[in-house]
Amino acid sequence: MVFVAKTRSPDEWKVILSTISTLVDEATFEATVEGISFRGMDPSHVALIDIQWPNSTFERYECDDSVKFGVRIDELSKLIKRASKKDSIEVSMLEDGLLTIKTQNDYLREYKIRLIESSASSTPLPKLNFSSKVVLSASEFDKVLSDVQVVSEYISIETEAKLVEFRGKGDSGEATISLNSESVGLEEIEVKEKSRATYSLDYLTRITKAVSSSGGTIAAEYSSKMPLRLECRIANIGRIHFYLAPRVQD
Amino acid sequence: MDFSIIVDTFENMEKTTSRLALTDYLVELLRKTPASIIDRVVYLIQGKLHPDYEGVELGLAERLATRAISLAAGMDISFIEQLYRKTGDLGDTVGKALQSRNQKISEKMTVERVYQTLDKTANCIGPGSQETKLKLVSSLLTDGSSRESRYIMKFIMGTLRLGIAEYTIIDALAVCFTDNKANRTVIQKAYNISSDLGTVAKILARDGLDSLKSLRVTLHKPIRPMLAERVRNAQEAIERLNGHSGAVEYKLDGERVQIHKGRNKVELFSRRLENITKHYPDVVEAIQKLKIGELILEAEIVAVNSQTNEFLPFQELMHRRRKHGIEQAVEGYPVVIYIFDILYLESKDLTSLPYLKRRAIIENIAIEQNFDMLALVHQKIVNNIEDLEKQMSRAIEIGCEGLMIKQPTSVYRAGAREFAWTKLKREYRSDLADTLDLVIVGALYGRGRRVGKYGAILLASYDADSDIFRSTCKVGTGFTDEHLDFFYKKLEEIQLPHRHPRVDTRMHMDVWFEPKIVIEVSASEITLSPSHPAGLGAIREKYGLALRFPKFTGRIREDKNPEDATAVAELVSMYKRQLRSVKKS
Repeated sequence: MVFVAKTRSPDEWKVILSTISTLVDEATFEATVEGISFRGMDPSHVALIDIQWPNSTFERYECDDSVKFGVRIDELSKLIKRASKKDSIEVSMLEDGLLTIKTQNDYLREYKIRLIESSASSTPLPKLNFSSKVVLSASEFDKVLSDVQVVSEYISIETEAKLVEFRGKGDSGEATISLNSESVGLEEIEVKEKSRATYSLDYLTRITKAVSSSGGTIAAEYSSKMPLRLECRIANIGRIHFYLAPRVQD
Repeated sequence: MDFSIIVDTFENMEKTTSRLALTDYLVELLRKTPASIIDRVVYLIQGKLHPDYEGVELGLAERLATRAISLAAGMDISFIEQLYRKTGDLGDTVGKALQSRNQKISEKMTVERVYQTLDKTANCIGPGSQETKLKLVSSLLTDGSSRESRYIMKFIMGTLRLGIAEYTIIDALAVCFTDNKANRTVIQKAYNISSDLGTVAKILARDGLDSLKSLRVTLHKPIRPMLAERVRNAQEAIERLNGHSGAVEYKLDGERVQIHKGRNKVELFSRRLENITKHYPDVVEAIQKLKIGELILEAEIVAVNSQTNEFLPFQELMHRRRKHGIEQAVEGYPVVIYIFDILYLESKDLTSLPYLKRRAIIENIAIEQNFDMLALVHQKIVNNIEDLEKQMSRAIEIGCEGLMIKQPTSVYRAGAREFAWTKLKREYRSDLADTLDLVIVGALYGRGRRVGKYGAILLASYDADSDIFRSTCKVGTGFTDEHLDFFYKKLEEIQLPHRHPRVDTRMHMDVWFEPKIVIEVSASEITLSPSHPAGLGAIREKYGLALRFPKFTGRIREDKNPEDATAVAELVSMYKRQLRSVKKS
């Protein structure tokens, strides 16, 4: 069995790990010929993350089988953070139970960490049809969420024609953020039918904070009173899907 | 195994009113259950995760449950609370709340997963455990359908109320695995000695009925206690002995415990087989001192007055059953362990020995070992009504509930309620609302904290006809340190080297006093007494009247002369006036 995955910098792993850490402390990755993937739910099963990290985005990728490896996110993060900005990161598994992380630019660092028991359960992806899609730059999306969070713990998203409104309501008052196709930051809007749904800001802000540092865009897709899916496309990583169950109002 | 199979059974059971249908549904469920998880399924249908004696509780506060529902349903907590007020049950609240949810993100619900998650929840301890519990519960509620989650919440909150008794499950096991209900006796017996229906089911499902027959008494697995039938009076008790003598014991007003002592640990189980070890660290310590490797004892733990060693009522003992501050409770409510049976000794099962043989074994242990806090229950061999009644009155007077009468040759039959053991409880009790004013006539020196003071004080009521003070109780409770100092000083002045000629009692005291000081006492009731002479023969020949559980109210009646104290005649009329039937229990 061979598994080696090398990235040009530590940034890719940083984004992946901080994204996953918004939901869980431990993660089981799966490496196949096609690349690395992760799927997991938060402990209360309200949100789900699905990551596809294809082999083409790596500087070097070799895997001749399907291999699962479980890690504690904080442990792996600590090691990755030791690398300098320009260091390449090579993750490999040659013997059972140990993951090797090599960082190289100025000098060679080699860590070996013990793997944890990987969770066996495979979470099915929800089958959803979306009636609205809004694409924003990650930083713009983060800003909108922060705008609403000033007054509310929840965010309602309402789309109609070429207009999207983000609303929040709390004890202190209300917020409405409106964007149309002319607005800066709104890159795309597609509305098959008028939709409105509410989601927890807590989950959303954590995930957008994790991905917005790397630039890129976030596509939010949903239908009335149905789960939301965020699709984050990030250079050298591929895509992250984030599903979140809706809040039920009144 | 799909969790929905259990939920289908629960739904059917909830709708039926027929006991037979309950069994049928259970049989159907057990047939669909793989042997590897049948123990878990048996626990789940009983609303448990483990046998009772393991003491595992889910312990989810209502507030946390409400938050978990809010998280799973994606609804404001205020809305969940509103729903809860309407339905009155958190399970039904979940059922309703989840109906309007579009659940798409979920993992499969299997019995294994539900059990594991609930078990994890029950075992969460330490900082952050509340948040972890919240998430674990919410993960089940989120993934479950509204009907699945409804039962999960009912299970968690202990409001399943399917009314499935062990009896029904045993019937179902017999039908399912042997096609013959008559085999229930074998299963029942295995359950009685192991108290673990899940394990019994698993052995039955895997290895068959014969393997159950070889199940033995095991240390640290409580045996279901042998119970006594109730008899109405002394006459019936004697009749039930069929011409033999009976071993008569005081029925103490404490908590019955089964004590398991292994080489490394001591565990205590309540009558209902809950693990109550943590409430009695002092008992554990006392048992650990015994120079015996393995042993199972049955005993009654009784709260006592540390000064007089007199029994205190059961309610006092219940101060021990608290979650926090156990150390203070140990100090505030000292206990004595009254042993009355032994079931196991150094890997030997003693349950098939006759009762008197078992008693002889504990008597031997008592002689050989230094008993700290341990005592044997008072026992006497009796063969006639008169002696039995005398024992009964003594027992009541010192604060017992009545008597236990045991056939000397009877073996220990786990879980059985038979006439081999009978219990005689008093038929009447009086309810004492008034306090009494009584005269101090003698005292015992104090021990422990009360060294140098008096421990208990002998009180008398005034018999005007003969101008004599006749004793009616010893009191040791209700005194503050100030009281004790005061009494010591005050009484020293009137101390006598012998009993005062105007005082009548059969009690032996350390010091005697001139009848002079009157104090106020309350008591739970007045009982017939063979040892106190107040009102002797007024109610029954050779019996006087005594106060049960007397307590000093804190008032010293300096305004009263000793002759103004509550008169014997008053005591008699109070006894008559306040008699009433004891509720059958």
